[in-house]
Amino acid sequence: MKEQDKTPDDRRGFVMALGGAIATAFAAIGSIILPGSAAASLLDDEDENDSEKVGVKVQYGMVIDVRRCIGCHACTVACKSEFDVPPGVNRSWVEYTEKGQYPNVGRSFLPRLCNHCSEPLCVDVCPTNATYRREQDGIIAVDHGVCIACKYCMHACPYDARFLDPVNEWVDKCDFCIHRVSKGLAPSCVNTCVGGARIFGNLADPDSAVSMLIASNRVSVLRSEMGTFPNVYYIDADFTDEVDRRRPEVREVRVITHRRHKERT
Amino acid sequence: MHLGTPWGLEVILYLFLAGMGAGTITASASMLLRGGGGDGQYFSIARYGALVGPFPVVIGTVLLIFELGRPFRALNLYKVINLSPMSLGSWFLAFFIIISIIYALLFLPWPQWKGKRLSAWRRRLAWVCVPSGLSVAIYTGVLLGAMPSRPFWNSPIIAMLFMISAISTGMALIIFTRALFYKVHLDVPTEERSWHGSGYVLAATDVLLIGFELLVLFLLLMFAHLTVGSVKYAVEIILPGGELAVFFWVGVVLLGLVIPGIIEMFFVAPKLLYGGHYTAPRSIDIVVPLAVMVGGYLLRYVIVMAGQLTGPVGL
Repeated sequence: MKEQDKTPDDRRGFVMALGGAIATAFAAIGSIILPGSAAASLLDDEDENDSEKVGVKVQYGMVIDVRRCIGCHACTVACKSEFDVPPGVNRSWVEYTEKGQYPNVGRSFLPRLCNHCSEPLCVDVCPTNATYRREQDGIIAVDHGVCIACKYCMHACPYDARFLDPVNEWVDKCDFCIHRVSKGLAPSCVNTCVGGARIFGNLADPDSAVSMLIASNRVSVLRSEMGTFPNVYYIDADFTDEVDRRRPEVREVRVITHRRHKERT
Repeated sequence: MHLGTPWGLEVILYLFLAGMGAGTITASASMLLRGGGGDGQYFSIARYGALVGPFPVVIGTVLLIFELGRPFRALNLYKVINLSPMSLGSWFLAFFIIISIIYALLFLPWPQWKGKRLSAWRRRLAWVCVPSGLSVAIYTGVLLGAMPSRPFWNSPIIAMLFMISAISTGMALIIFTRALFYKVHLDVPTEERSWHGSGYVLAATDVLLIGFELLVLFLLLMFAHLTVGSVKYAVEIILPGGELAVFFWVGVVLLGLVIPGIIEMFFVAPKLLYGGHYTAPRSIDIVVPLAVMVGGYLLRYVIVMAGQLTGPVGL
């Protein structure tokens, strides 16, 4: 019985080893033929499989508990000063949504930042590989030295998280404060949030604060229909948009983006 | 000039000029191959197209490089190749610029080369020019269509529309240059026959392309109108009452397609339908292509701006 149990496992192990060897061979060929993203993604898949076995994978993410947000813009200001972001553009910002007609009205806040998607459209379209997904922690970063400011990624991003830096003329966005999180600190916006609305952590670790919040609350992500699999989750967010004016029960909607473009795109 | 959108007039002009240049070279090479590569009415068409085609592509590319702010950064495009439509497109474009310039040079008089050898090389280059010209004409549409975050662009038919418009404006550029520079003695019967013969080929092709372009525009509008959600809201910008409706219906449809199509059809129909004689005054050969080219530019303008001014519905 024991031997019979053992054989399929051995076979599976052999098949998986073979599969791994084939994947490595393809990745090697791929890296010769295509020095770009195609080869990189082949290599990435292999890395992911390996790290899952060992259990060291890190996927940074954020939970924004909108119930705790008071719309004070402390995160916006902290982010601005952390990176010296030029006037008129934002890596992180807070939108206000006002809806309804007196006396039935509501106002809600929506803190925004780069969603650090698991299927990032911006990475897919970047012609120079300047924007890329970091294997070690899943952060989407921009290599300013390689970026040519073609602005293609600004169109590809469904969250309008990217902007053209008017001083340096490269495209920039939130990077989860790589310089802070790599030293074990929380991102600047999380650090400063007065109500504790922003919670940061490792989504791959089931015991992290973010994972536990996601497991025990009704969470949502922005524009999930885009298929980007964002890693920024919201608790109790109001997704009312200006298009909802057409609804008889809403009638009046005003979205205040607090950004240079007054309208959501 | 930025117009408040990420992509401004430089990009729109590039999309128009590169498309037109690629269309011109593609049309020229096809005409050369159609005529067997030797002399004749097809050869004169091919010659005009080859000599004029590289200019818009190069001008458009220079505009695009300077739009980046720091022009030398464009070299970063050629340090990698990946599956981004812009990366593939920039390699196609670089290849096409080199090929089209060599192709154009082969049409200049080279007294030290024997005629047969020259025409053999022209034919070889033409075989390369057709696919590389089409790839430049079509990649711009693929580039715009690649993103679900831009519902107006996110459709496979945008690439088709851009390709047909590129060849159509390319044909218009050939007709226009030919009308400006062709020295013809209409009292000599052979010259008269050759002039009107090649004129008919050009006008008939242009009418066909205009018809296809109208059909593709109809499909784009019809399917956008029939769906619900982001695409339906996005297309409202060019439907009557929308922000870009006047540019689209008056500039693109009426001035760029319907009016030139009707005028060319008027001259083409007698020969097409009952084997009559094709004659078109030189002024028509100047005005109609100009309208087609203006319409082609406005098409790029409307599509690029509409895509940037609209977004997905909801959050």
